[in-house]
Amino acid sequence: MTDARPTDVFRHVTADQADRYRAIMQAFAAAKSRFVVHLRPEDVHVDIGDAASLDQVTTALDQLTAWGNLRSDPDTARVTTVEDFNRARYLYQLTHAGEAAETALAAFDEALGRRGELQSVALSDIRDQLGELLAEARADQPDDGRVRVGLRSLVAAFDSLASNAQAFMGSLQRTIDLHGVEVEAFLVYKDQLISYVERFIGQLVVASPQIAGLLADLDAADVDALLVRVAQREAADASPDEADPVGMRLAAWRDRWTGLALWFVGDEVHPAQAQLLRRRARQAITALLAVIAELNERRSGRSDRSADFRALARWFAQAPGDDDCHRLWRVAFGLSSARHLTASADLLDARAEAPVAASTPWADAPPVHISPRLRATGHYERRGKPTRITDRSNERRLLAERMEVQRAQTDAARRRLSTSGPVRLSALGHLDRDAFGLFLDLLGEALARPGDPGRPVTATTADGRLAITLTPTADGGTARIPTDDGALLGADHVVDIRLVAPGEPHPAGGAPRAMVGSGGVGP
Amino acid sequence: MTATHVPATHVLDRANTQAADDDRSRAIRALLRRPLLAAGGPGAEAFVLVRRHAAWLRDWFAAETGWRLHVEPEFARLRKRPADLDDATRPARPGRGRPPFSRRRYVLTCLALAALERSEAQTTLGLLAEKVITGAADPALADAGVVFTMERIDERRDLVSVVRLLLDLGVLDRVAGDEQAYVDARGDALYDVNRRVLSVVLTTTRGPSTVAEESFASRLAVLGHDAALDAVGPVAVRRRLARRLLDDPVVYDADLTDDERAYLRTQRPQLARRLAEPSGLVAELRAEGSCLLDPTSEATDAALPEEGTDGHATLLAAEYLAAAGRTVDRDELTAHLAQLAEQHRPYWRKDTREPEGVAAVCRTAVDRLAALRLVDVTADGVTPRPALSRYAADEPTIAGRQESLL
Repeated sequence: MTDARPTDVFRHVTADQADRYRAIMQAFAAAKSRFVVHLRPEDVHVDIGDAASLDQVTTALDQLTAWGNLRSDPDTARVTTVEDFNRARYLYQLTHAGEAAETALAAFDEALGRRGELQSVALSDIRDQLGELLAEARADQPDDGRVRVGLRSLVAAFDSLASNAQAFMGSLQRTIDLHGVEVEAFLVYKDQLISYVERFIGQLVVASPQIAGLLADLDAADVDALLVRVAQREAADASPDEADPVGMRLAAWRDRWTGLALWFVGDEVHPAQAQLLRRRARQAITALLAVIAELNERRSGRSDRSADFRALARWFAQAPGDDDCHRLWRVAFGLSSARHLTASADLLDARAEAPVAASTPWADAPPVHISPRLRATGHYERRGKPTRITDRSNERRLLAERMEVQRAQTDAARRRLSTSGPVRLSALGHLDRDAFGLFLDLLGEALARPGDPGRPVTATTADGRLAITLTPTADGGTARIPTDDGALLGADHVVDIRLVAPGEPHPAGGAPRAMVGSGGVGP
Repeated sequence: MTATHVPATHVLDRANTQAADDDRSRAIRALLRRPLLAAGGPGAEAFVLVRRHAAWLRDWFAAETGWRLHVEPEFARLRKRPADLDDATRPARPGRGRPPFSRRRYVLTCLALAALERSEAQTTLGLLAEKVITGAADPALADAGVVFTMERIDERRDLVSVVRLLLDLGVLDRVAGDEQAYVDARGDALYDVNRRVLSVVLTTTRGPSTVAEESFASRLAVLGHDAALDAVGPVAVRRRLARRLLDDPVVYDADLTDDERAYLRTQRPQLARRLAEPSGLVAELRAEGSCLLDPTSEATDAALPEEGTDGHATLLAAEYLAAAGRTVDRDELTAHLAQLAEQHRPYWRKDTREPEGVAAVCRTAVDRLAALRLVDVTADGVTPRPALSRYAADEPTIAGRQESLL
């Protein structure tokens, strides 16, 4: 027994028959609370009921003794039978270590099973304590004792608040995670949750600005001095061989104070713990609503959609063939596109012109016209490289040359035709073809003008570059103008043919003709 | 003709009504195409129209088809319960043109949705994978031979394609990261979970977990049962037919029940008009059946004709089958397509030069034709159905030919 290690007292928790060991230890603990110190195996056997036989109980008790949970003393009571006398009889009691282990396990059970509560009472405690501390801090001579008591109770209230809030949030999350939760259990839980959250969050919303304000005031009133005084007061109780007792305790108090402050005061980067608690409570409400919606859906006969998809997955896997899979897809999801034969505008026009009776079989109706290129190549447009742009500069040059030649000819004809001063027609001389054409133009213009037959007539060509003044002579002579194609005979006139420069006033009267075209050769 | 003075307000009213009708038909087509329209997803502009005319659309769908329309500020959900439970041509696809889901991916989708139900507002791919693995520990799944460990790269690819489907539906929104990084096991992706959309993804009236049937057919029947179609009488028959006409490309008389056929015999033009006018579709009524054509291509996910190698092959296969007019077995069709691949070598994809490529194109073409209800696929081969005659080759017309003037 002396070579058993201290932690052997916990070995019974994970050994085989752990529940038997636990039951035995709990029987001892219960007896202890009744102030019964020693127990015989028979008593233990009675206490734990029919879970094990007497021999099994005895074996278990021996094992517990070996681990150090129990102590055995010889049993010296009187016996009445020979077998009892010969049997090894012991009395058992809890050892100190065993009792400590039992207490620890009981605390463990309790902490695990504890649901945690959100305490709204703690908030008002904290607020009141802070108020008192503030009063002390502002006083000239703060009472060390009262400051110390106040700080300790503040920290205690705050500790229990924080741990309970944590436990509550933890249990909340665990419950919401259960998707298979039963309706009745859930309803009970929902009512509890809502009442808790209402009370606590409401109080938190009211209390935390007040507490934050009090903390700010305390900071302004130099709370650190208070902490120093409390640390010194506590250091006076410290053992002499402790190094820097004041410093350690001061650091501890400052830590606690910072923790308290952080809980209620924060900024954007590190929000206050109270803020986070409120946020979590809000999220819990939202999650609660989601669970309610799911339960509702389940109740209204629509099954859980996730289970639906899993069932469909099984059906697809068990379908006989690929075609059946496609059928199931269409029926279950209904996401397939419609399908129709197409009709071009030409087809519709042809139908409008020559409608087909509804009783005609398809074989007798005119078929759909397919563009020949589509039938031949599979594409509507001609494929391949685009046609190259032909170079026409040669032709352009030829045309420019021809135009140049024509213009030169016309200018030469004009010059040939123009007379310096009035001249008789018969004295005009031989005219080549171009000049003769111009001359006929002029003559036509002049003769077409209305006027007295005996008076001079002035006219110009259509382009305004040549002007003629025609005066009939009175002597009745005949003019003969030889040309390349023959001779022109007519009454003799006196003509004056002049070149008209652009911008000159119209010889027949009127505004000067604007220059038409460009690049004219000057007179 | 005497000109009557039409007041300006009357003209404006007519124009407004016309605009409102156009908006409504666009909204109907958008909902038919994507029964779950989310405010931020691919159908965002159509979603605005759906919200504007939500009350009218709700009443119209309820009256015509018995489908319930549920419009919220962030999404619109048309609970498109099919009238025909046997259609296997509408698989889930992670994106347009991608291969359809396999059984494993369907199971993974359901497990992922179950995990998302229980998750927080955000999740990552890694976390989702862990929850899926936990959910996949169901003994029923293991018995059926579906096991997930997320160790192998192809399992991760499966999960990524499931996540792509969920992204497309609007259940998840990607916030950061990349799915490819997860497949390569060098990263992760972060998503927002849209719980409201998640709550309307399933459209069954009875939760599958409350159904205790054992055989697949009875499970399907219980899930597919719809109280709106329960009543005996012309209203239920009309709604069933309306669902089929709005959802299926062609509705053949041979596939209908007796009471539906009897209804159509007298009421077909009126029913077609009731459905075609508000939705902008065009009715084509023939002796063997009826269909609603879509001139806008907004209400359909597959079209014929289409550009591209697969579309071209489908068109030519349709012509061949329409000309043949009998059941053609797969080998014959594949041989014909191989000839066509040779003929159209410059225009078709490179992989059609190999026999496997031709076989793949043949499979795609037959699947597309079956999806459009133009052929029947049986063990013997491919049987054309009456509507396939629409795609028979027609006489070429020479443009600009005029009668000679004398």
